Amino acid sequence: MSFADATAVFRQEASELLEVLEGTLLDLGLRPHDKDLVDTAFRALHTIKGSGAMFGFDKVAAFTHEFETAFDRVRKGEIVPTQELIAVALAAKDYIRALIETPDETDTIIGDAILGDLTQFVAPRAATAEPTATATVAAPMQANRPAGWKLYLEFEQHVLRNGSNPLDLLEDLCKLGPCFAVPLTDAIPLLDEIEPEDCYLKWDVTLHCDCDRSAIDDVFMFVCDEMKLRMTPLTQTDVAPQVVSLGQDMVVQNALIQDVDVQDEPAVTVVVEAPAIVPEQGPVAPSPVAATPAELATPAAAKVRREEPKRSDERAVATVRVQAERLDELMDRVGELVIAQARLSQLAATSADLSIKMIAEEIERLAGSLRDTTMGARMVPIGSLFGRFRRLVHDLSRDLGKPVEFVTSGEDTELDKTMIECLADPLVHLIRNAIDHGIEDTAARTAAGKTESGRIELQAVHSGAQVLVTVRDNGGGLNTARIRAKAEEQGLIAPGATLSDSDIHQFLFHPGFSTAQTISALSGRGVGMDVVKRTIENMRGSIDLSTRPGQGTTVTLRLPLTLAIIEGLLIRVGEGRYIIPLSAVEECVELTPEDQRSRGRSFLNVRGSLVPFLRLRELLHVNAAADPHQKTIIISTGECRVGLVADQIIGSHQTVIKSLSKLHSDVTIFSGATILGDGTAALILDVAQLVALAQAKAEKQMNEAA
Amino acid sequence: MATILTVDDSPSMRQMIRMTLEPAGHSVIEAGDGAQGLAKAQASRPDMVITDLNMPVMNGLDLIRALRKQPTLTGLPIVFLTTESSDGAKQEAKSAGATGWITKPFVPAQLLAVVGKLVRS
Amino acid sequence: MSIAHKQDSSAATDRALQVVMIGLGEEKFALEAELVREIIDPVPVTKVAGARAFVPSVINVRGNVIPLADLRTRFGMPVADASVDTRIVVVELKIDNEPVLVGLTADKVYEVTEIVRTDVQQTPRVGMHWRPEFIRFITKWHEEFVIVPNIERILN
Repeated sequence: MSFADATAVFRQEASELLEVLEGTLLDLGLRPHDKDLVDTAFRALHTIKGSGAMFGFDKVAAFTHEFETAFDRVRKGEIVPTQELIAVALAAKDYIRALIETPDETDTIIGDAILGDLTQFVAPRAATAEPTATATVAAPMQANRPAGWKLYLEFEQHVLRNGSNPLDLLEDLCKLGPCFAVPLTDAIPLLDEIEPEDCYLKWDVTLHCDCDRSAIDDVFMFVCDEMKLRMTPLTQTDVAPQVVSLGQDMVVQNALIQDVDVQDEPAVTVVVEAPAIVPEQGPVAPSPVAATPAELATPAAAKVRREEPKRSDERAVATVRVQAERLDELMDRVGELVIAQARLSQLAATSADLSIKMIAEEIERLAGSLRDTTMGARMVPIGSLFGRFRRLVHDLSRDLGKPVEFVTSGEDTELDKTMIECLADPLVHLIRNAIDHGIEDTAARTAAGKTESGRIELQAVHSGAQVLVTVRDNGGGLNTARIRAKAEEQGLIAPGATLSDSDIHQFLFHPGFSTAQTISALSGRGVGMDVVKRTIENMRGSIDLSTRPGQGTTVTLRLPLTLAIIEGLLIRVGEGRYIIPLSAVEECVELTPEDQRSRGRSFLNVRGSLVPFLRLRELLHVNAAADPHQKTIIISTGECRVGLVADQIIGSHQTVIKSLSKLHSDVTIFSGATILGDGTAALILDVAQLVALAQAKAEKQMNEAA
Repeated sequence: MATILTVDDSPSMRQMIRMTLEPAGHSVIEAGDGAQGLAKAQASRPDMVITDLNMPVMNGLDLIRALRKQPTLTGLPIVFLTTESSDGAKQEAKSAGATGWITKPFVPAQLLAVVGKLVRS
Repeated sequence: MSIAHKQDSSAATDRALQVVMIGLGEEKFALEAELVREIIDPVPVTKVAGARAFVPSVINVRGNVIPLADLRTRFGMPVADASVDTRIVVVELKIDNEPVLVGLTADKVYEVTEIVRTDVQQTPRVGMHWRPEFIRFITKWHEEFVIVPNIERILN
């Protein structure tokens, strides 16, 4: 992996941490006394700072450092965060994000301004610890360095257990210059008392080097608390070295020195020959980077998993990061497998070989299970999207001066991951509209006897084979008259034409249409709703408006559960075969003889209730003679039921959905295509479209009859 | 050369450590939290452990203590990563049994130097 | 047969253009080789009710459901039955800035060859409705007139 890839990992990580930070800050606004939230925010900042510096994002590290310092009073509990403070903190978070994502375009003036604001709210703040030049204490440089040092080293008994090896340290010392080390064995106990892992030796070391104290301190930096170290400088007149080399085999570790009589005075002179290299400063040079101010070690960070919608309750759900492209590839392979398996099943059905049939069944079961699991892997709770909007609503509400309550539900509702991203922009737009145009300003609301604070509800729920996402506001509702006026002005309606209210509302989706009196910075340019509609329709979804004047508007998005694989009902109309998504199928009935005969009727009698229907033969331009026993498939979109009349119901067929190309985007009765077991393509009927068509036809006929 | 276990809940940090040590000929094992770290240390017997302090499930201090309790891992050099220069953190970690520390942010040469200092073949 | 290379696009200049020569009705059409992805034998076709006349159906090519276009309708040529020489030429075009695979029915595929745009008098033909915007240029190849169609226009 290259450095570029590692930086990408950092960006991803930072992005998630910033999200956590934002959510935490917003929560802090609601619960300013919650210490845990402050700690969480700090941990996030801390990690960003550390990793930022690692990957060369120095500005990020520096800014975050300053920010932390300024926010420190909050962390210490000395001040309680106010709304303004939170707002500045959120701005800081945005700035950090900008520094990471577009470092070249981000002006440091913004950062300075933010810090300035922060200081104001937090003043008088704790004195920033001046970034010290080095992480370790720099020893005062001695004006005249000694010719060397005489050292006495005594280690704690257990020093070896903690991974330090005095012999290694001696070796490091010798890198500084020629040195002699004399082990002092007086502390070695009797054999039967010796702990093999303990260190009983001490050393007198004479080190000839042109170095100062700090070089020696560096060698022992890790063990300085576990040893006694005495240093006295040598003068030039001290004894010149006598080099007697000895093998390196003296293993001091388990203190069983064969040659030493433990009772005797130390007599062995161990000389470690210094390598003829220039003495280094020391093996570990402290980094001259601005150190952090003295902070207490933060408690164990609670890592927020990417999929976790609720920040406050951490569940240790084991997750694995997978690159999105790999999931897509996996999906493609599974899709191909499903197709191939369908062909296998078809072949097996015609085969007389029992063992092949059994295997084909087994493979069908496995493929289905694999498909379900893989699809499940792609499903992401929509809550991950909702989180972003809290910030949006907060900012909009503040910018427009309209207090708004933002309520979400159904965060756990899962959608295919590709859809989640596509939904973001449309929802942002709808929420903006709701706040900008839907919710009235405080004066108007109080005058109308409404609560001062407006309310936006964002909800996601499963409904059959679909996910319903609704954005509901309790504002003033759509102004039908004004929409109509605007439409007439733009020449979209003839002045006298009769149109239902809902038809008029559809004009909002017209490109360039906007009834906003003033174009605010946020919306009103009319560049919104048509794009929203197109985006939703590209996801094979639909968008509905409903409104109550003076009470509010609800926008409902209907989306398919997944874009990838569906369970379908295979039918035949004439020569062609078509698929109806099985999840939309309620039941299949035979056409009664009277229904068969009727040509002009638009309703079927299904166990007493009237259901509008479509003859697929007509819809699909099939000319050949109809089969004698037509079948009716009753489909529903949740609220409306419609009957589809076909020649034959072949069976169920699980299938990978393939999109139709742009050249066929005008054919709206089909939502996609699939590949059947024999390799031919079959078109998938768009249930929503068919229902709309059937209803329109039925209405028309009723109007004509009336 | 050496096998080094890096324990940190930040994937980018683990990445950085890997990218610093592997070109120098060391092999790197990763763990995302203290518990994983303990398990991998027991299983793979690395030559050295580099651990963060703040981690979920089991933090660095507890990991160090737990590692020191393993009879098979005596003398294992354990280095902790710290952004603090405060003595408090270092003291704590040292009393838990850490061998040494590396301050964050670190320059690759520093990391290699510490490894060189504590891992001798 | 599969053509896997991409070429430098040589717009209608005097440089030579690599093309796949196909026959459609009485005419010869030259499709730019850089657009052609593969040439396959005819496969079962699925009609798309309500589609525009020049893209009446879809086919399965390597697991992708792609439209099968009939250029004849665009040139007012009568529809002919499939013969043993019929092939489908799969091309990749840019529609709204996105790559789209489309199959084109060809009564016969001759060869991959090079043509040069030379100045040719555009002779109106009897019995054929020319739409100038569907044609990039006409040139001569082995003494015959060859039409270089503007496929993107035709299919949009």
